[in-house]
Amino acid sequence: MAEILSFSILYSTIRVATPLLLAALGGLLSERSGVINIALEGLMLAGAFTSAVVTHYAGNPWIGLLAGIGSGVFIAAIHAVACIQFDSNQVVTGTAINILMLGIPTLLSGALFETTGSTPQIPRANLIPNAPAVIAFALVPVIWYVLYRTPFGLRLRAAGENPEAADTAGVSVAAIRYTGVLLSGALAAIGGAYLSIGQSSLFTRNMTAGRGFIALAALIFGKWRPVQTMLACLLFGFAEAAAIQMQGVIPHVRVEYIQIIPYVLTMVVLAGFIGAARAPRALGRPYEKE
Amino acid sequence: MKCMLSLIVVISILPACRPATSASADDKSKVHVGIVFDIGGKDDRSFNAAAWQGVNRAAKDFPIILRDVEPGDPTSIEPAMRAFAERGYDLIIGVGFAQTPQIEAVAKDYPKLNFAIVDGVSRLPNVASLIFKEHEGSYLVGMIAAMTSRSGILGFVGGMDVPLIHKFELGYEEGAKAVNPKIRVIPNYVGVTDAAWNDPVKGKELARTQIEKGADVIFAAAGNSGLGAFDAVEQYGKDGQGRAQRFVIGVDSNQTWMKPGFVLTSMVKRVDNAVYQIVKDRVENRPIGGVHVYGLENEGIGYAVDQYNKDLIPQPAIQAVEAAKQKIITGQIKVTNAMEK
Repeated sequence: MAEILSFSILYSTIRVATPLLLAALGGLLSERSGVINIALEGLMLAGAFTSAVVTHYAGNPWIGLLAGIGSGVFIAAIHAVACIQFDSNQVVTGTAINILMLGIPTLLSGALFETTGSTPQIPRANLIPNAPAVIAFALVPVIWYVLYRTPFGLRLRAAGENPEAADTAGVSVAAIRYTGVLLSGALAAIGGAYLSIGQSSLFTRNMTAGRGFIALAALIFGKWRPVQTMLACLLFGFAEAAAIQMQGVIPHVRVEYIQIIPYVLTMVVLAGFIGAARAPRALGRPYEKE
Repeated sequence: MKCMLSLIVVISILPACRPATSASADDKSKVHVGIVFDIGGKDDRSFNAAAWQGVNRAAKDFPIILRDVEPGDPTSIEPAMRAFAERGYDLIIGVGFAQTPQIEAVAKDYPKLNFAIVDGVSRLPNVASLIFKEHEGSYLVGMIAAMTSRSGILGFVGGMDVPLIHKFELGYEEGAKAVNPKIRVIPNYVGVTDAAWNDPVKGKELARTQIEKGADVIFAAAGNSGLGAFDAVEQYGKDGQGRAQRFVIGVDSNQTWMKPGFVLTSMVKRVDNAVYQIVKDRVENRPIGGVHVYGLENEGIGYAVDQYNKDLIPQPAIQAVEAAKQKIITGQIKVTNAMEK
């Protein structure tokens, strides 16, 4: 048991939670502005792939990270234009982006490296194993402050809660929503970059392995609030880290039982402790200026 | 807008089904070979990569037409096989145990065509089952691991938690215990779904956890996820004499070149040879059904010693391993097969 409750579990928790937190904070900005962002998974993949490719060519992970952010913003812009300009169904568009991002890395890596979806390995000196984690946790107070203490934050929340009122007050709901969605692309892309040029050393096909959706769950679990969302990500991270620690220690317990711990924990907490999660009122509703 | 999006989606998925060669597909005088990869994809530098190498070698040596599909998810495996079968492909190869039910379903509908499944066993007369004695090779690398370990703790990172990978784990453990009965093996699996083959971040997290518990040699049998274990051992660097502090053992393909100095050896599974041979048999019109077993005795399984790792394993260790290899071949050492337990 002592082996389970060691110090290493703390670091492990943070490492597992970091990509979730970045994506969830991104989702928070998008969804608080009223646009459902189910595309987090795809945005993470965009960031992961682009930053690995650019780091490979440029030999500098920071340039790679910036390029990754750029790609996340670009893909998020597709989502934003579809949802805000053309009033598309936000869930459908988000899903389309997720599917799109399964294909695009395969296509591009074929052209660049003659592989189907993976990049060459990046030397260890060109990785940034810790910076994204620092960025992620530093962003929590920043986003909290912006959301609750600045005019922009007020407008963002208004666009998601009551766009009509925001519009009447002279706020451009479309501009606010664009900002929210584009920022979500940037943050989710950092989360993706953490996977490819932070924790591992290459991009492999679909390497996010569902983390974008877990981030979405953490966002809902955290009731669309930055601090609670961070706690939710840490809880998921801890559950996974604990599951990893326990796998080797307790003999004769099937892996499935240990690996369901994070999910069972989520359900128990969701059902038992947090009460109803209330989404931003105008979430998923296109706003038409009258 | 949605139309355009779906168009982009379709365009971007197409290359996944890109043919391997651009030669004309309808040249019926040639043997047509179709290969359907596992979820790991053909550049996993491991299992699928070996199969890909095998068919490519065959395509160079024989006048065949070769096409490949990398399914994006398990539901597209059977349609891919059916697509080959409908176009009358002479030999359709499924890579990976998980494709056994699909290949059987298709093979029943096309009894005149030949099929081959890597790592799976089928009783159908037109399906060749290519299976490997991974437990025997794992036993040998387990011995090397135990002779290298200073801490007396070894790690094992498996991909998907399935009986096939238990074969690797158990063989590894038995080999290690044959050298040092007190040695401890920490086994971890990446997951229980096929996504477990493609998650190097989780693979690294598992390897790091094992290292923090004292493991100094880690055997990674996890496809792309195993690459995370390579990153993990590299992180612990080399000591004053330039010897790595922690080692990883590669799997399926020879992976010693990937992080020279950190890769102790590889449990080489010659999927390439098995696939090459089955294509050759088909081209030469030999009957190919039944179970083809690859083990130490026919070089289907082995461990890698080359210019990248020869300085890492002392000569007496190699001799001990070679002696054990002979004993396994002659049956004096019996390695437990976890799938037959």
